[in-house]
Amino acid sequence: MRHWTEGFDDGDADEQLVRPYTITSGRTAPERADLTLITLVTTLPEVSTQAALAVRRMQPEHRTILGLCRESKAVVEVAAKLGLPVSLTKILIGDLVDSGYLWARSPQPLTRATGPSDMTILQAVRDGLRKL
Amino acid sequence: MDFASSEHADRTAGLAHTAPLAVKILIAGGFGVGKTTLVGAVSEVAPLHTEEYLTRASIGVDDLDGVNGKFTTTVALDFGRITISGDLVVYLFGTPGQERFWFMWNDLVNGAMGAVVLVDTRRLEVSFASIDFFESRGIPFVVGVNCFHGVRDRTAEEIRAALALDPQVPLVLCDARDRGDGRDVLLALVDHLMAGRSATSV
Ligand SMILES: Nc1nc2c(ncn2[C@@H]2O[C@H](COP(=O)(O)OP(=O)(O)OP(=O)(O)O)[C@@H](O)[C@H]2O)c(=O)[nH]1
Ligand SMILES: [Mg+2]
Repeated sequence: MRHWTEGFDDGDADEQLVRPYTITSGRTAPERADLTLITLVTTLPEVSTQAALAVRRMQPEHRTILGLCRESKAVVEVAAKLGLPVSLTKILIGDLVDSGYLWARSPQPLTRATGPSDMTILQAVRDGLRKL
Repeated sequence: MDFASSEHADRTAGLAHTAPLAVKILIAGGFGVGKTTLVGAVSEVAPLHTEEYLTRASIGVDDLDGVNGKFTTTVALDFGRITISGDLVVYLFGTPGQERFWFMWNDLVNGAMGAVVLVDTRRLEVSFASIDFFESRGIPFVVGVNCFHGVRDRTAEEIRAALALDPQVPLVLCDARDRGDGRDVLLALVDHLMAGRSATSV
């Protein structure tokens, strides 16, 4: 059986780089510590007509993100839907978080440290999986 | 997260209740052991695919060459999602086959709840590096033995011995294409995590 990933080609990153970084106005910016692969981002309701105007002046990708995130999406999902690498997507999402269009929710740090909320989450995951 | 403006705080008030919490499970193992297949079997959406450029900066080496010198490689990742409830979403990440990249990609591993290492009984050695990785990082994992074509040519004990697996680490036989089997492997991981927590907290 041919697997759906078989056509993907990992090579030739260089060729693809030019356009993506045009979108970010050349920024290859440092990683934002507050945006991880599974940070959930949600579009906030627009507050003013000024904000609406600003949205119209954005890169198309910015607007696409705002549309996608009307329902919360993980950063990695936004990247997959845009077809852009994760680090570029983080730059664009960061712009929108900074300017107040997107709200970012950090994932729960599930570490080995014990805590009741940890246990509650695990229990919820277990109950949910059982229904699969 | 802290946001400065009170206007912003007003607009985000209440969202904490509407935006779910996200957790992450890694599906690891060597090339072609069935990682993407397992993700697809349990995910509620077809596995999504994305890429990341790994830069020298991300391995902690200062880089002053500008854009062109910055990129070392591109790695591909596929992932799926299981919505547990309106409050909780599990993301499953099929890790790139080459473990040497994981060290460059902290965001992939950081904050993971735990991992499933898939092995193929005919090529156990391709998953050794994954096991080493999680052991050395202290990330809890279970082993899923993907029984290609239903071939169960080795017993669980033989596989454990060949992998030099810690007796605490659960090992589950599975068919990565099967949703129920995939679910059972994930449940084994969650049970393992819960056992680890209750053992350390008492
Ligand atoms: N017969 C059989 N085939 C399987 C099983 N699991 C996976 N396959 C097939 O084996 C091949 C590899 O599976 P993948 O899920 O792509 O493996 P992977 O670990 O994601 O591979 P890489 O990402 O390339 O490392 C695919 O063609 C699958 O359809 C299985 O349990 N039985
Ligand atoms: Mg794969």
